[in-house]
Amino acid sequence: MSGLTLRAIARLMDYPTEDLKAALGEIRDVLAEGSLLDKALADRLVGFVDTLDRQSVLEMQEEYVALFDRGRALSLHLFEHVHGESRDRGQAMVDLMELYKSAGLYLDAHELPDHLPLMLEYLSTRPQPEVEELLGDAMGVVVLIGARLRERGSDYCVLFEALEAIAGSPEEADELRKTAATEGPDETIEKMDEIWEEEQVTFLGNSDPAGGCGGATTPPANTGAIPVRVTDEQPAAGSSAARSQR
Amino acid sequence: MSYFLNQLAYFRREKDQFSDNHGVTTDQSRRWEDSYRQRWQHDKVVRSTHGVNCTGSCSWKIYVKNGLVTWETQQTDYPRTRPGLPNHEPRGCARGASFSWYIYSANRVKYPMVRRRLIELWRQARSEHDDPVEAWKAIQDDSEKATSYKARRGLGGFVRANWEEVNEIIAAANVHTAKQWGPDRIIGFSPIPAMSMVSYAAGTRYLSLIGGTCMSFYDWYCDLPPASPQTWGEQTDVPESADWFNSTFLMMWGSNVPQTRTPDAHFMTEARYRGTKTVTVTPDYSEASKFGDIWLNPKQGTDSALAMAFGHVILKEWHVEGKSEYFDDYVRRYTDLPKLVLLEERDDGQLVPGRYLRASDIDNNLGQKNNPEWKTLAFDADRDRLVVPRGSIGFRWGEIDKRWNLEDKDADGHDVRLGLSQVESSDEILPVSFPYFGGGGNDHWAQTEHDPIQRRNVPIRHMKLADGTTVKVATVFDLMVANYGIDRGLGGDNVASSYDDDVPYTPAWQERITGVPREKVITVARQFAENAHKTQGKSMIVIGAAMNHWYHMDMNYRGVIKMLMMCGCIGVSGGGWAHYVGQEKLRPQSGWTPLAFALDWHRPPRQMNSTSFFYNHTSQWRYEKLEVSEILSPLANPKDWDAAMIDYNVRAERMGWLPSAPQLAANPLTIGREAKAAGKDPKDYVVDQLKSGELGFACEDPDNPVNFPRNLFVWRSNLLGSSGKGHEYFLRYLLGTENGIQGKDLGDERDRHPREVKWREAARGKLDLLVTLDFRMSTTCMYSDIVLPTATWYEKDDMNTSDMHPFIHPLTAAVDPAWESRSDWDIYKGIARKFSELVTGHLGTETDVVTVPLLHDTAGELAQALDVADWKKGECEAVPGKTMPNIVTVERDYPSTYDKFTSLGGLMEELGNLGKGMQWDTREEVAALGDLNGRHRGEGVKGGRPIIESARQACETILMLAPETNGRVAMKSWQSLGKNTGRNHTHLVAGHASEKIRFNDLVAQPRKIYSSPIWSGIESEKVCYNAGWTNINEFIPWRTLTGRQQFYQDHAWMRAFGEQLCVYKPPVDLKTIAPIKGQRDNGNPEIVLNFITPHQKWGIHSTYTDNLLMLTLSRGGPIVWMSETDAAKADIRDNDWIEAYNVNGAITARAVVSQRVPEGMSMMYHAQEKIVNTPGSEVTGMRGGIHNSVTRTVLKPTHMIGGYAQQSYFFNYHGTVGANRDEFIIIRKMNKVDWMNGPAAGDAMQVETA
Repeated sequence: MSGLTLRAIARLMDYPTEDLKAALGEIRDVLAEGSLLDKALADRLVGFVDTLDRQSVLEMQEEYVALFDRGRALSLHLFEHVHGESRDRGQAMVDLMELYKSAGLYLDAHELPDHLPLMLEYLSTRPQPEVEELLGDAMGVVVLIGARLRERGSDYCVLFEALEAIAGSPEEADELRKTAATEGPDETIEKMDEIWEEEQVTFLGNSDPAGGCGGATTPPANTGAIPVRVTDEQPAAGSSAARSQR
Repeated sequence: MSYFLNQLAYFRREKDQFSDNHGVTTDQSRRWEDSYRQRWQHDKVVRSTHGVNCTGSCSWKIYVKNGLVTWETQQTDYPRTRPGLPNHEPRGCARGASFSWYIYSANRVKYPMVRRRLIELWRQARSEHDDPVEAWKAIQDDSEKATSYKARRGLGGFVRANWEEVNEIIAAANVHTAKQWGPDRIIGFSPIPAMSMVSYAAGTRYLSLIGGTCMSFYDWYCDLPPASPQTWGEQTDVPESADWFNSTFLMMWGSNVPQTRTPDAHFMTEARYRGTKTVTVTPDYSEASKFGDIWLNPKQGTDSALAMAFGHVILKEWHVEGKSEYFDDYVRRYTDLPKLVLLEERDDGQLVPGRYLRASDIDNNLGQKNNPEWKTLAFDADRDRLVVPRGSIGFRWGEIDKRWNLEDKDADGHDVRLGLSQVESSDEILPVSFPYFGGGGNDHWAQTEHDPIQRRNVPIRHMKLADGTTVKVATVFDLMVANYGIDRGLGGDNVASSYDDDVPYTPAWQERITGVPREKVITVARQFAENAHKTQGKSMIVIGAAMNHWYHMDMNYRGVIKMLMMCGCIGVSGGGWAHYVGQEKLRPQSGWTPLAFALDWHRPPRQMNSTSFFYNHTSQWRYEKLEVSEILSPLANPKDWDAAMIDYNVRAERMGWLPSAPQLAANPLTIGREAKAAGKDPKDYVVDQLKSGELGFACEDPDNPVNFPRNLFVWRSNLLGSSGKGHEYFLRYLLGTENGIQGKDLGDERDRHPREVKWREAARGKLDLLVTLDFRMSTTCMYSDIVLPTATWYEKDDMNTSDMHPFIHPLTAAVDPAWESRSDWDIYKGIARKFSELVTGHLGTETDVVTVPLLHDTAGELAQALDVADWKKGECEAVPGKTMPNIVTVERDYPSTYDKFTSLGGLMEELGNLGKGMQWDTREEVAALGDLNGRHRGEGVKGGRPIIESARQACETILMLAPETNGRVAMKSWQSLGKNTGRNHTHLVAGHASEKIRFNDLVAQPRKIYSSPIWSGIESEKVCYNAGWTNINEFIPWRTLTGRQQFYQDHAWMRAFGEQLCVYKPPVDLKTIAPIKGQRDNGNPEIVLNFITPHQKWGIHSTYTDNLLMLTLSRGGPIVWMSETDAAKADIRDNDWIEAYNVNGAITARAVVSQRVPEGMSMMYHAQEKIVNTPGSEVTGMRGGIHNSVTRTVLKPTHMIGGYAQQSYFFNYHGTVGANRDEFIIIRKMNKVDWMNGPAAGDAMQVETA
């Protein structure tokens, strides 16, 4: 049963508090008792819990804020990576809330629906196929954040790697990891010009006129279900996903 | 089968085709459209706007679904204009359209944040002290502890906190500071009340209740044009943008209308379609340039030379040659040109223009019993007799008869027609000496060899004074013709009979300085005047920051204003001076001030001019390299003017000209107690102590811990990322943290030390607590101790007004504040509640001794009429409210602060409401507000008082009390003015007498305000709003010494700096290059360029500069523009990383190499955040700074003048201004771009990968 594991990961991914500190033992038990995770990974998670346990709450908090509370690269809001500055973000969040509601869960916190720990909590109440589907959908972002954390030497990366183990690696996982490894903060900045360069717009001689303008794509099939998509596209190499929509 | 049967009667088989078979109707699935339909399905659409300093105040539709903002679009339902005038919409711009991005962006401040080091100290102290105030004291008393968190400012290390805890820290710090150091050591900085006025008022109401200091912004931003109060006694009053359409000759001078006034620019283009001629004046090829039928490109900083040459042509052809009856009549009736000026005879026999002749100079005061020293004189041209024309400031105060007006009458009611020139009636023609400054400045500007003293012949009359002496007098008109160097046949030197003469201020003369061909100058001047003559004043000049941010901005502006006044354009719809910099127009101002400064509970509030404050308390004065002698008139005695710049400011403060903050060199609550103990009136007690020297002003000893500003609140502002001139000095001295200052202070140069200020070792880290409220993690937030998350502009109820249109507009809470954020109103309410709780036991009812400067629009503006005397030097008695600040006591019942915050106080009924010298009863409105908002139950100060708990109730309070939104109040305020002018003005608003605007009315549609005497234009169906309209049409005097628009300035300090009349003054030499040039070689060639910081295209100041959408449109980080020529000299290519530096600090940025920019100049759009893609500096070894890292502010003594009619202090109205365009930088290519990422960098501005 992955539910409690997911909830434990959600708690660990949240802003660390005294309450978390007090519950670390319980979390350790949940993780150690085994779940879908293989032993090695479970051990690493337990190791992460131990690391937290050795820190004061303030140390944990300072580190957390420095990592997650400012800036896009490690934002725990999934749509920051997917939609970025796009106006689609509002609608996407609305869709996600509808999904939670349809499962009888109502948002009861000052937090956005695409906050990863929040979504994990939701998934902790859901059957495995749904976990795999929704989390699988978000896996591109999850892998990228995890890889970036690893590059920065942060122990938090294990949480993301655990999620990857639970929902399965996406096809492009290796590529994403390579991206995170090669981008490095400096690298990204140095390549800023390439990243920000405008793509040439072509109209004539393009076999796919719609594609050439970067505009309308094939209409989504109407399945009748609520069309929640965590990722419209997978994050691409070079920079954060937000800039990669070309 | 028959055709009949074969055919279908009711069906057809084929799809319908149309348009010659080009079109066909198909029945494919259209479900794909659902995603678009969905986008337009909302739970609600809410009206709001953006509380940013852009003057737009545009109406927007905010789309909300499931409690989330999905996007915004422009609203299009403004009230219609009248036939023949284009409508207002669509308003809005790309920046506003991208705002909703902020709400959920990763840059949002989501929780209260505290620096970890501080919270550790706090929790430890709290565990040792039950009383939070004692806990705060324990931290501050341990200098090691205090330094340990101050030194971390700007270096990251934040943790989240909860509201309860941060409110406790803040309140404890405030209580401790008020108790130990004085409540005036608690400072608040917030700009632009016109945008989100309730959010502004939230903080200032709290501060004013506890006796804290509210800081000005308009002067500090250098958006205040000092020429406006000098000329008109008015802060700034301008036409609405719709009135551009009524102009028939429109100049855009240093104002980039399409770029910086985007939603209003359409009125300018529409005017062009209608045939209006446009002339653009900008040194660079700006976006506005292409709209000019003629484009003039003077060298930057030389605009006053161009303006003087225009004036030369206009004055000569239209006034001296007498071609326009309209012009002639206008200047006689509405300007000071007929007024008489005494000529001072110097020891060497030279005659110099002196002060205005006053009634008190003449035998028997020329019949004037009241204020004869403040009544200026002229000759009645028809009867050739000396008269006291009505309207001068002496008529404004203490008069029994109602005659403060601009009727063509003298004091006794005789009709008069004032004489302009004495050329026909002079006793003799004598040379008068005028200063010439065109040979000074540094060699980056053309220096001409003309004599610094220009002697020119002027017709003069002799006059016998009351003391028996005979003096020489001239009219302002005759002096001005001479000052412009016009040959009118009076002989003598230094005058030009031809425009080709190289004499100041001919078109030929200006050519060398500005580079503009003389023919173009002559053409534009002629057309400008001819148009004004034919249309009776419909020539307009739109003007902006580019002109006002220079040290001698008053010369630029007065040069332009003179052109307009000569041509009768001021006060005329379609004409006039249209200065748009800073959203200064808080239309319901007098309804707002009681709320904002808690005038309903205590009067007076503490207000401070920020320029003088920051110059002093960030120790920028310690680095002053500009000597007063460099800017002094060659006709002044340098021995009288040998002090340092800060000395003049200190003198101005102690003479009551400028405000002080902190005020006295002791806790004002302690002073109150001591006076009481000594059994003395606090006023007498303070005067005695000041005279004996036992007590001083805080400004005289700023490095003494007793005088530090201790707590600073910053809200609705990015003080450290945008407006803080001398950024690095803020960091070193106020904050006590890492900084990039490269120069040395005057430590060893003892002869340059100031006299009025004690020189001691410089204090660092003066602030104990810096609290910033923001919704985004700005540069200021990064340097703060505590960051409080505020609601965005779509998450709170508030109101906006603008100078660009006459509508009052709501901000509405479309959704609840996200995460833990709260509206500014709720944040300060929470702090006030905690303060009231914690203060109990520390402070009770206290006597607070407040110093108040000599205020404009009060009788205090009549202080020293004829000369300047300093009580401290024994030149006069120390008289509070006359020769020194007034000293007033305020009783503060500290534990009731929260109760007062949330209710409307009783002073509104007791004293009424007031604004700009008018006063009216407001009992009805208080009663009506109680009915509307409800009244508090129970006992205590708030029992029975109208409730102001919510921001919406605060909005209703403003709307109820303001003449602009309550017709009944408007009637009362016009009646109040009528009592002084002796004229009935109520017809201007009678039609609205029974109307009121409520908050819900605004939500339904933006509402046009009602005409009020607070403003000088009217709201009408027939005429657009234009400044000065009521002065011209209702004969209301300007609030100046003469009651007229003043070409002439006669204060002793204006004369000392040679600014009686407008002159050309080149930019000043700030000496920031030589000490460092060539010292920091990195192997790349270096060039020196003038540093210009205009408003930008991809942001509104710093807002939006961290917005991905806007970054995408620009270059994704800081940029500096330069010319191709300069770039070639320094081997710089477009997009290279460059460093710009001088002794003040260093900036790193990309080069934009463009033909737009002229040689010798660089441009950095101001307020690009250092938190976005800014690499490390090779010069400082730290991260590159913001644009203000290479600036340091410099004061100008003429802006310190006070207690002198229009030159009297008022908050955001008059005072020193923070100029910064005379600055130079060294630019060179960088060798290594170091992004300073990773923990080793140690600072918090780590570059965010985009």
